[in-house]
Amino acid sequence: MSISLLNFDRFGKPADELAIIERAKSNPEYFAPLYKKYHEAIFRYVVKRVDEEEAAYDITSCVFIKALINLPKYEYRGIPFSSWLFRIAKSELYQSFRDKKAQRTVSIDSMQLGRVMEEFQLDESEHKREILLKVLPMLKDSQLQLIEMRFFEKRSFREMGEILDLTENNAKVKTFRALVKLKELYSKHNKN
Amino acid sequence: MTKLLIDRQLPSSESIANRRNFNEILDGLPKKKTINSPWFYGAIGFSTVFLFIVLNFFI
Repeated sequence: MSISLLNFDRFGKPADELAIIERAKSNPEYFAPLYKKYHEAIFRYVVKRVDEEEAAYDITSCVFIKALINLPKYEYRGIPFSSWLFRIAKSELYQSFRDKKAQRTVSIDSMQLGRVMEEFQLDESEHKREILLKVLPMLKDSQLQLIEMRFFEKRSFREMGEILDLTENNAKVKTFRALVKLKELYSKHNKN
Repeated sequence: MTKLLIDRQLPSSESIANRRNFNEILDGLPKKKTINSPWFYGAIGFSTVFLFIVLNFFI
């Protein structure tokens, strides 16, 4: 089935995507194009947060099963379908951490860590990098999640808000507070 | 405790696509219980009573 997913109606709704969702509500087999479209994005979101690849594949499958089970309740309210899937992924991830099926992990690229150091106006010395890596896991998970999405995944505040069920402004404010907390922890450990 | 993994090698788009299996998702869905329409049960009931009457009173 080849269906373009890029058409929007006059109200700005993703018309074709919504048409697929409506059909999939009565027959899950129609969901195939959306599974194909979002599988990689959801897998990448999950794999960066768990330590084992196999666990990430299992969690990704659970996300799509949950999505299909809950699809009849889905209604378009201006939030993209992808964000609805990311919300399910977030809840599945935390369920697997509670069940100890996976370990909470933060995957960091050295380049992206440089962005956080830039924000702190730090030069990239090995010692400063080590301190930053030491204090990052000391943040509350809700704060770490914001830093992770903003700096390591380069998501916009709007997208972060859609996934975390916050307004764009609230996502911005909370990220700023998380950065302040990280700076505090950094200064405290830099002195010692 | 949160684990940090630096410069981790993540799978390629191709290998992720190879693991995509929509049938596995469909198989994972809870099976719907099929409930027959009340007409079905009525039909069974009527035929049973009909057979009972025929067998007892006419044969």
